[in-house]
Amino acid sequence: MSNDNTQRTVTVSIQRFDPDVDKKPHMQDYQVEMTKGMTILDALHEIKTHQDGSVTYRRSCRHGICGSCAMLINGRNTLACKTPLIDEVGHKNRVTLGPLPYLPIIKDMVVDRTTFWEQYLRVKPWLIPPDDIPEKEFRMSKEEVNALHDAESCIMCGACYSSCTVIGLNKHYVGPHALLKAFMRVMDPRDEAPGQRLADLDGADGVYRCHTVFNCIDACPKGLNPTQAIETLRKLAQKRKKFETTRRKRQQHLHEPIPAK
Amino acid sequence: MRVFQLQRWSAIALLFFLTIHMIVVHYPPFHINFDNILVRLENPVWKVIDILFLLSVLVHALTGAYQVITDVDRAFDYRKGLAWAAAVIGVVAFVYGAATIWAFQLPV
Repeated sequence: MSNDNTQRTVTVSIQRFDPDVDKKPHMQDYQVEMTKGMTILDALHEIKTHQDGSVTYRRSCRHGICGSCAMLINGRNTLACKTPLIDEVGHKNRVTLGPLPYLPIIKDMVVDRTTFWEQYLRVKPWLIPPDDIPEKEFRMSKEEVNALHDAESCIMCGACYSSCTVIGLNKHYVGPHALLKAFMRVMDPRDEAPGQRLADLDGADGVYRCHTVFNCIDACPKGLNPTQAIETLRKLAQKRKKFETTRRKRQQHLHEPIPAK
Repeated sequence: MRVFQLQRWSAIALLFFLTIHMIVVHYPPFHINFDNILVRLENPVWKVIDILFLLSVLVHALTGAYQVITDVDRAFDYRKGLAWAAAVIGVVAFVYGAATIWAFQLPV
């Protein structure tokens, strides 16, 4: 929890790497006057604006929605814009910042997310609607919405992906971000291709590659649970035909009102 | 059957066989006696239990090793070859182990 003991100078230690100049990454310290309510992203702005314009990082919305500013803060992946500086400096008066792990560094805290997006596209993250689209709207029950476990609030920041130890070793693995999205589509009663999706995830680089380390849950700044989603996909992948039949039956009634309980 | 399922089923089997193994071999409710052990090892029911135990251990260990090795990017590309290697090692070890267990006879 934040407290009001804010007016002090803190050390922000940043991992620097310029591929044109450096052979390997190194740490560089900056002194920042901490003000009330200052976030890690504010501190980075302060450094970039007043001390060293070459410090490079991604940011956009500053409100925890775009996911651009995900980085390694004191050894934990999270969003810089959502993390109060005072919560991280501790008694050492120091915070350490670095790029998301397991991804190639472009410069300082900017990483190459190519594999992240490639794996994301692999699961076809869009809705595949049935041929018989209702005239007015699809009707989902409360239980069906709850079963999604807020998966739709994922902001694709990459914190889970780059905290996954399997990703650290194997870039063929789909990754928790894409599997969470696949889970959302599979569980969505409007989607017509859950069987195909489950078949695609059934391979050696799909759902069974997860080692249930739970790092993705720890890292998610939105408090989502990719591990649970992966476990659900595993179970469904093993009884795919039955699930497909249930889905087909459900889709015949998608346009009907949900009966009151 | 998927490697994942093989490993889970063999884990459940191991739980059963390990419990029996620990009780019978290490913490028996009776005094451990060499003659009793020989009689047990010669008993066909125990031979079957030991062979199934061996099978569970081999399946679990080899599928686990296969999963861990193929976690590494470079090894992932050779997973078919690795799967065959694991299968061959498993069959050879099982035949050798099962034959040894089955061949046991009380010393005359």
